Amino acid sequence: MTSETDHNWLNRLEEQSRLKQEQFMDGIAAKLGRDRIRTAPEHPFRGAPDFWKEFEWPLEQRITQFTANFEAAGGHVVRLSNREAVSQFIRDKAVEMSAATILRQQEEALSCLRLEESLLEAQVLSWNDEADTDWRAVAARADFGIVMADYATAYTGSIVVKSAPNKGRSVSLLPTVLVAVIPVDRMVTRLGEILVQFDQAGREQLPAGIHFISGPSRSADIENDLTIGVHGPGIVYALLVDSYEN
Amino acid sequence: MSSSELKAKTVKERAGQALNNDFLRNAVKFTTERLRLGKKLASEEHGNWDVWRERGRQIRLHTIAHLDYYLNEFAEQARANGAHVHFAETAEEAVAISLQITEHKSAKSVVKSKSMVSEELHLNKALDSIGVEAVETDLGEYIIQLADETPSHIIIPAIHKNRYQIAELLSAEAGETLPPDTTILAGFVRMKLREKFLEADIGMTGCNFAIAETGSMVLFENEGNARMVTTVPKTQITLMGMERIIPSWADLEVMATLLPRSATGQKLTVYMSGISGPKREADADGPDEMHIIIIDNGRSLQLGDPEFQELLNCIRCGACLNACPVYRHIGGHAYGGTYSGPIGAVLTPALNKNVAEWDDIANASSLCGACYEACPVKIPLHDMLVSLRRRKIEAGRGDKLEAMGMKGFAAVMGNAKRYRSAIKLGKWGQKLVVRGGEIRTRIGPLKGWNSYRVTPSLPKQSFRDRWPEVAQEIHSTSGPMNPEIAARLKERLLAAEFRKGEKAYDKRN
Ligand code: SF4
Repeated sequence: MTSETDHNWLNRLEEQSRLKQEQFMDGIAAKLGRDRIRTAPEHPFRGAPDFWKEFEWPLEQRITQFTANFEAAGGHVVRLSNREAVSQFIRDKAVEMSAATILRQQEEALSCLRLEESLLEAQVLSWNDEADTDWRAVAARADFGIVMADYATAYTGSIVVKSAPNKGRSVSLLPTVLVAVIPVDRMVTRLGEILVQFDQAGREQLPAGIHFISGPSRSADIENDLTIGVHGPGIVYALLVDSYEN
Repeated sequence: MSSSELKAKTVKERAGQALNNDFLRNAVKFTTERLRLGKKLASEEHGNWDVWRERGRQIRLHTIAHLDYYLNEFAEQARANGAHVHFAETAEEAVAISLQITEHKSAKSVVKSKSMVSEELHLNKALDSIGVEAVETDLGEYIIQLADETPSHIIIPAIHKNRYQIAELLSAEAGETLPPDTTILAGFVRMKLREKFLEADIGMTGCNFAIAETGSMVLFENEGNARMVTTVPKTQITLMGMERIIPSWADLEVMATLLPRSATGQKLTVYMSGISGPKREADADGPDEMHIIIIDNGRSLQLGDPEFQELLNCIRCGACLNACPVYRHIGGHAYGGTYSGPIGAVLTPALNKNVAEWDDIANASSLCGACYEACPVKIPLHDMLVSLRRRKIEAGRGDKLEAMGMKGFAAVMGNAKRYRSAIKLGKWGQKLVVRGGEIRTRIGPLKGWNSYRVTPSLPKQSFRDRWPEVAQEIHSTSGPMNPEIAARLKERLLAAEFRKGEKAYDKRN
């Protein structure tokens, strides 16, 4: 627009916003018929009902339930014993589906699969391992995206991934096929077991993006007909691994 | 434009089969039925549903009762995350801020994921007026944007379109004929919108919940377009109603339990994303700059109003629409506002602080209580509808017929024996609904949602003609009114004093 720099412009907006914020809050308090509340109020109903907070399935049941939920949502679940089996599975799938580009998170737990060396049929790339690359564009043309799940929840059949410089949000979103590696000891029963950790960690510790993924991208917008893969990955593999460490 | 000519011509050809009243009604019925059943199964399977509803209600009540604290906290924490927070009292202010950001970024296009707030603001039009392309990326929203219409359902916006109509619209966009095959149509949209996501300068979303303690915003969706919009473009704008707040991530568990089950019967939507500020310095994706626009636009009018404050508890799940026998019959566009169904019938006049403008359509509630039963945060929508009517009459704006409606209502409510009869239930409902033989405004089945204006063959059908059907459905799907609700409504009626009601109700009742 004008020659005003971004910085000045944003500062000016912030000044306006702070003024407005006070008016807003004063207005709310006035309408509620009391003075402004400036310290955290007692919140007696925080979180799920008490009985729910105690609910927990044993590991085998968590795995069964996760599998049932994830498959019901249209995802695929494969149980594997160890890292070698994971590596083998991904290689076979990539060959079977003629994947040309595979993008994985830049994590030790994934680089040790050695896909770069063993999968000569495809180009295997590691997220953000060099500057000056448009990684979003790379993800958009990748056939496979491979991620480590930070957690999984059995009750909802969800994979949880947190963003980081070496862990792109695009990797679980833009490729056609998503493969998520889930060491079974990262699987909990309820959503709440994971969510409270974000409260405990506090704002400073949160990444920019936390994503719960419960199957392939879907829509029922055309005549209620279920369509898979509208924007996100249409094929999702959850690889449950019994012992991922060597 | 030749493509629009083509579109009009071909649609006209199809008008006889597709653009007819029966299709709309059947589609709405089928979809709402599917969603309603899904919700029922999901809530039963989850178990203790009322305990969860009550918890959801308590969290919402607590948050709204302390909204100045929590909203302020959210703004501070979001800023600490690196987001730019703005406050807008009116729709105009929100639009002005959005346009300012767009202009400052010299943006050419904005990709959007579904946001009812954006509908409230008529933002697409505003962006268009400064030459910025606004692209709706939710499959259903994209379809109705191509058709130049507005959403007819909170959750399924293109509920009123069939696959032939959709194929027409998308074919015009593709420049080739696409078959009316869902997979192919969705595949085309995926490809087309991929380009848009990658090109767009700005991504714009709504916000399902905002977590006060960490300044995070949470989005629920199935398609992945909200993730696209918050991941790919360099600048991201979030439009957020000022009441979207919850205190903590722990509280999110309750909302995540209630919302997807109530909306679509899912245990969780395919994606639930918690976004805390713009991308971190070293991240290789996510927006460089994030703006959050917090919008009042009539919401604060409900604060401190004992009859309507609970409207702010709404989590926009759409369950009350699917439960409502009237909605199932007339579809969303008949409501004539951004929000349809029972919630729309109350929210639209409430946000406009204008009871006088309150449409006759709000009368088209049977007060059967199905909306309350369905609501995951237990908002007493039927109580509110009664209050609205009372206020309208108090303000001298109700006319005699409406007063009679009240009388009929009061009469039935006052007589338990008569009340128990479902037929009577239909009758008093009819009195409330019908004015001069039909509902006058926006009830013409296609008015307001049909942009083609080539529908001469449509029969004009009055609401009265359809009322027996509606009444039948109220009876068969909702059963009798919950006695608790009936008692409360009765009490409310008896307590009401109609200053200008022309003896609106008989004291003997
Ligand atoms: S009023 Fe209740 S049922 Fe209706 S949309 Fe809002 S939360 Fe859902």
